[in-house]
Amino acid sequence: MADVVFSSWGGKVVDNRQGGEPQAAVFKLPDSYLDEGRIGAFMGWDGIILYDREVDIVTMAAEYMKRVQEKYCCAKCTPGKRGTRVMMDTLGRIVAGAGEERDLDILAGLADLLEHCKCTLCMTAARPVLDSVKHFRGDYLAFIRGERQARAAKSYHDKLTAPCTDRCPAHIDIPAYVEEIKEYRFDEALDTIRRNMPIPAVCGRVCPHPCEKSCRRALVDEPISIMVLKRVPADNEWMHHRQPPMQTKAPNGKKVMVVGAGPAGLTCAYYLSLEGYQVKIIDMLSEPGGTVAVGIPDYRMPRPLLQREADIIAALGVEIEYGVMLGRDVSLQQLKEQYDSVFLGTGAFKSKPMGVEGEDQGYDGFSPGGIHYLRAVALGEPIVTPKRVIVVGGGNTAIDCVRVALREGAEESILLYRRTRKEMPAEPYEVDDAEEEGVKFIFLALPTKLITENNQVVGVEVLKMELGEPDASGRRSPQPIPGSEYIIPCDLVIPAIGQDPDLSYLQGGDYGIKQTRWNSILTHGGTMMTDNAGVFAGGDCEYGAMTVVVAVGHGRRAAPGIHRYLTQGRAYHDKEDAMEDIINGLGAFDKTEQVGLPGGLHREHQPKIHGPERTSNYEEIELAMPESQAVREAERCLRCYRVGMLAVNG
Amino acid sequence: MSHSLINLKIDGKQVQIAAGATILEAAEKLGIKIPTLCYLQKVSPTGACRVCVVEVAGTDKTVTACNTRVVEGLDITTQSEKLSAIRRQVVELLLVNHPLDCPVCDAGGECDLQDICYSQDVTSQPFTAEDVNAPTIDHWPLIQQVPNRCILCEKCVKICHEVIGATALLINDKGDKAFIDKDLARCEFCGNCVQVCPTGTMISKPFKFKARPWELRKTESVCTLCSAQCQVRYESKHGKVLRVTSADGVTVNDGNLCVGGFFGHGYLNSAERLTEPLVDQQPSSWEAALGRVSSDLARLRDAGGGQSLAGLASGRLTNEEGYLFQKLFRVALGSNNLDSEARFGLLPAIGILRDQLGLTAASNHLDRIGQAEAILVFGADPTAEAPAVDWQVQLAHRKRDAKLVVANLRRIKLAGQAETFLQYRPGSEALLAGALAKLIVARGRADNDYLTQFVGNRDELLDYLDSLDIDQVCAAAGIERALLEEAADHLGQAGSVAVIFGRDLMQCAGKAAAVANLANLALVSGSLHGDCGGLFPVEEKGNAFGLLDAGVCTEFLPGYQPYASGETFAKAWHATLPAGGLDAGGILAGIEQGSIRALYLAGCNPLVSFPENTRWRKALQKLDLLVVQDILASELTAMAHLVLPGAAGAEKHGSVTALDGRINRLAKAVDPPGEARPDLAILADLYAALTGKPAPSETALRNEMTELSASCSDLCQNLEQRRFCWKHPYRPASRSLRGAAPSLAAPASAALQLLVGKSLFQFGTTTTYCAATCELESAGAILVNPEDAARLGIAGDGVRLKVTGPAGMLTGPVKISGQVPPGLLFAPYNFAELNAQQVVAGGNCVAVTATKA
Repeated sequence: MADVVFSSWGGKVVDNRQGGEPQAAVFKLPDSYLDEGRIGAFMGWDGIILYDREVDIVTMAAEYMKRVQEKYCCAKCTPGKRGTRVMMDTLGRIVAGAGEERDLDILAGLADLLEHCKCTLCMTAARPVLDSVKHFRGDYLAFIRGERQARAAKSYHDKLTAPCTDRCPAHIDIPAYVEEIKEYRFDEALDTIRRNMPIPAVCGRVCPHPCEKSCRRALVDEPISIMVLKRVPADNEWMHHRQPPMQTKAPNGKKVMVVGAGPAGLTCAYYLSLEGYQVKIIDMLSEPGGTVAVGIPDYRMPRPLLQREADIIAALGVEIEYGVMLGRDVSLQQLKEQYDSVFLGTGAFKSKPMGVEGEDQGYDGFSPGGIHYLRAVALGEPIVTPKRVIVVGGGNTAIDCVRVALREGAEESILLYRRTRKEMPAEPYEVDDAEEEGVKFIFLALPTKLITENNQVVGVEVLKMELGEPDASGRRSPQPIPGSEYIIPCDLVIPAIGQDPDLSYLQGGDYGIKQTRWNSILTHGGTMMTDNAGVFAGGDCEYGAMTVVVAVGHGRRAAPGIHRYLTQGRAYHDKEDAMEDIINGLGAFDKTEQVGLPGGLHREHQPKIHGPERTSNYEEIELAMPESQAVREAERCLRCYRVGMLAVNG
Repeated sequence: MSHSLINLKIDGKQVQIAAGATILEAAEKLGIKIPTLCYLQKVSPTGACRVCVVEVAGTDKTVTACNTRVVEGLDITTQSEKLSAIRRQVVELLLVNHPLDCPVCDAGGECDLQDICYSQDVTSQPFTAEDVNAPTIDHWPLIQQVPNRCILCEKCVKICHEVIGATALLINDKGDKAFIDKDLARCEFCGNCVQVCPTGTMISKPFKFKARPWELRKTESVCTLCSAQCQVRYESKHGKVLRVTSADGVTVNDGNLCVGGFFGHGYLNSAERLTEPLVDQQPSSWEAALGRVSSDLARLRDAGGGQSLAGLASGRLTNEEGYLFQKLFRVALGSNNLDSEARFGLLPAIGILRDQLGLTAASNHLDRIGQAEAILVFGADPTAEAPAVDWQVQLAHRKRDAKLVVANLRRIKLAGQAETFLQYRPGSEALLAGALAKLIVARGRADNDYLTQFVGNRDELLDYLDSLDIDQVCAAAGIERALLEEAADHLGQAGSVAVIFGRDLMQCAGKAAAVANLANLALVSGSLHGDCGGLFPVEEKGNAFGLLDAGVCTEFLPGYQPYASGETFAKAWHATLPAGGLDAGGILAGIEQGSIRALYLAGCNPLVSFPENTRWRKALQKLDLLVVQDILASELTAMAHLVLPGAAGAEKHGSVTALDGRINRLAKAVDPPGEARPDLAILADLYAALTGKPAPSETALRNEMTELSASCSDLCQNLEQRRFCWKHPYRPASRSLRGAAPSLAAPASAALQLLVGKSLFQFGTTTTYCAATCELESAGAILVNPEDAARLGIAGDGVRLKVTGPAGMLTGPVKISGQVPPGLLFAPYNFAELNAQQVVAGGNCVAVTATKA
């Protein structure tokens, strides 16, 4: 990493221009930009970062403001629309040698005024300009006195982002769709979402919404309900029987095979299809959705809606064939021969072993894993859920299992977790929901042995735990209390402590596809291409069991990767992808920011079915948020847009 | 949202206001005026201009008062040096490159930007920027857009989307080049964008350069182009209405107007206006003309009896004029041969509603549509027939979460917005309405309390509904059962339901059964129950309801008192009511047979408006006396023996009654052109001449009608001092309502049918004399589904099609459109040249054959 020459990033000024002992400042920016050259400077919402003295900050500020005004300014507020225009023209005059010293006061004054903008796009765009006027005044005066000429960097690259958008693995333009909801434009909101994510009905329901962890509104009161707001326009289209508006490009004659109709595969197929590819999906299951379909119970994600999402994608011309398993019914080699490119989105369907005594003995009453149990129930397979069920684990799958067990007739459904409720990776509201339904929790308990009679599990031996010091991840790690073993009687034990991809299909040939040490497929450079040219992978099989939105993000990246591979012979990152990743590395959310706005407006919650009677069926629990309520929620959005720009020097 | 109260402080004063209110509303409550520019109460706050910034104690940033909701304990400052500086700079920025064409700008004198400059003391310009100088957009019909003057307040964009639901306007481009653009295909040309524009950006081309705002004389009145009767302000100069506006907040239409209200007034100044009486087509004095009318009528009456005379009126007459018209016929001419165009739809519908439900208008006020939880629009296109009804639907559906079910033959605008669209086949209206009622009952969602309390024959009704076969209905209507059940659930689950029906239902071939089952549906859905929702018959003709209230039909006296038991009237009028009486059909047959010798047409043109009008055209030629009292020259006036030029709504006083029982006062904005006279004056003089009594005054007539018909509250006695009053609210007695059991038949199938309805841009035939609305649609086109077009060998729009139906044949240009399903053609009735009504008889949708002309 190059040394910083000057930085005002985050309001902290580091100025090494005059030499002397260099002050350190480290930013998570790469040294170079694609293969274009070294990054000389970055200008954005939080200030200026200058690595290369050769980058002329005045010229860069003029270019930055021009791009903000002409490419990004939404024009929806006066200071933004006109203020950035006046700033752009003023900077342009200065750079052209026609500036006056009082122009610097105008720039500074406007930067102040822009603090009163409707959103943060122009507001934050004025900040690096103000910093430049403050800290590079001499350079400005040199221009004004005619002593200096404009000196552009080799290239500039810009990107519009927002903390939520940046955090979203699919990089959905969240402020845009929230604003569209605020303006009662649900169709447009859906169009915006679909630019990055083709399964909004799913991600509006079961996304773990990392975006909400980067919501600036949370610094004022509570985060925006970004996930539910995604469901609202999806519900709107569905409830109005509206046909989605997407049109595919003319067929380009190329064929792509997508293995797996889960979120990654559906997403990849969707964007390829829009691009004009003839796409076929095969899936080992009898219905679309992958883990979302058979791993998430219907009361959280009704499968008819998942089917509708798949139908929409199929309506674009994507062929989906169910009941076909890679490695069993068809080999990767065959697919490679028949298709121009293959995308592997085969998920992670292999339960991790628990490491308890007896789990490999094939006892009755020991489930191969939570994901198997959920799938068997979802597909209506003939399994019987006995009276007393113990589920081991603290994640969403574990929670789903205990709740499904209740619905399948268990009288007692117990979740066993080795840490405490606070450390559970499951969504807190789902833990609450499970409790409301009558699930019992036993925390700080580690199963050690299956207790059996006549090959039938009758109980599980458990060791009590206590929390020790926080480990590297910050979570307090559980420590066993020696001699604290006791037995909990039960009829079924379901381990739900994680899943691995089942990549046995790679063993059928010499594909050269490397794997990670977590038994997932290795891909390169964010293009999602494996070591076998033309074979791409994404979702759980690439990352290990992760979230639906990560899978969508992979599918969205893989599609253009495949497109570039098939049209230009190589899968590569384009400028958009590169800037997305650079800004993601730098981070667009400062959780210590003092926003300076009054709060006190609570987040809106969608209506919900309560009471134990809900455990008698699989009806959806979280009901559609009324649109008027969604509009109120959307009004809370602070529209935290921001523009970053790189200067690249040779 | 909680309804708790929030306490906050503004400029040191404590105020308490409901949660959800904005700072601006809280300040208003305290009487503190925060300057605004982009704020428009009836749309969602935009926060674009930043003029309403205020300071909040304890925070660094300012917030905009218009869109910041109050929270407990806020301490707000609305005036400070800091705020003044921000506001001033913001306005200075707005003025960067703002053109200095105020002297010729349409908004000069009523420009919010001018006003804010004054109020914020903006007198200099510190900022400069290159002038984008975007070209004026002049290719849109009727509306010009001058981007240079735009402050991008978004009022136009928002009213277009949120209030009108047209969603035609949008912001295009980025930064300083951003401008208001339009998807022309979606534009309804309501002109609300012009009305709400704070500057001279959105301009009405017909009004441009006609007058400065301060020169205009303003007259508060109502628009009579449809029966919603929006409140309007006629703005006139030198005796000519130059524009029509409406005020937000204080009017029932909340300041919104439609294409008719905003642009349609051009007919007032048409060169085709009748300006002098004609006797045998020769200009004449009023004295001579009225002398001829009265003497001829008296002569024919004396010769052939009152039954040889007939009168047809229209909703262009005021209540008082309608009342006098029927009295003239019944008392002075001894004839009960009275009718109007309402015969073909509204009158029979009202007859059924009156029998079953005791209703003679909507059961609730118009704004209660906007408060309903579910809305059914059945066989109506409110967007065309009564736009103010559409805006209520938009409000309820878009902003208040109401579910919308649309049943229509065509994919109208509202169908595209509905949760459930039931695109039924012609002739299945009654079946469909019955099936919806049955499903609501069968799915356990009927309003049982209401049925028990108010419906006298509840069990009969339920038995009848039970007897309907849903699958048969679905087959006949061409609708999937699941969709029908969904519609029934939307209506059944809602706490309040508005049922809106219009022309397609009231004029369909099986209208009696259709309206009866719709009334059944209204009962079981609970739409008559409570203050929200209601049953709303939508009628285009401006004062059609008033005309029927006034007794202008053969079977009812004023106040819907049956003609057969009219002793009160006979006594009050000191007259014997003439026996018998013919309706429009009887009058036509009578003329054809020669038993009717004289016809008096008051604002009524059967040659375009009536079905089977080829018969009418032939029949009228046989008359000894054809009197036409109208405002515009037409084929009809050309064949009249006597032409009496009357006055348009803007040119006379009187009262008119809206579809929801609102009795509005018309105020005269300008004089009728030339020698034309208010219709009341014409009728009163005739009445005097024929009876020897003094000519009755408007007030006397209103009082007499009010007293005799007992249809409106006593408030109407002083209508002169009010803008409007209400008829008695609908409060049925226990067990007074009745379910009907109409017998239903599956519709006959036909390969091709023609539906005749209303043009979106024209109102009656009147506005076809308005240059502005004719710029949008001047001749009318036949809508043809692409499949039918292919089958008929029609290559594209404009190809002429010949359509032959039971009553006649028309030829006209085609417009290929997915709005009509395969097998259905649509033609607007408004255009004399196309004359779609000549094809139909017995209903507004008939089997036809079509070939390329």
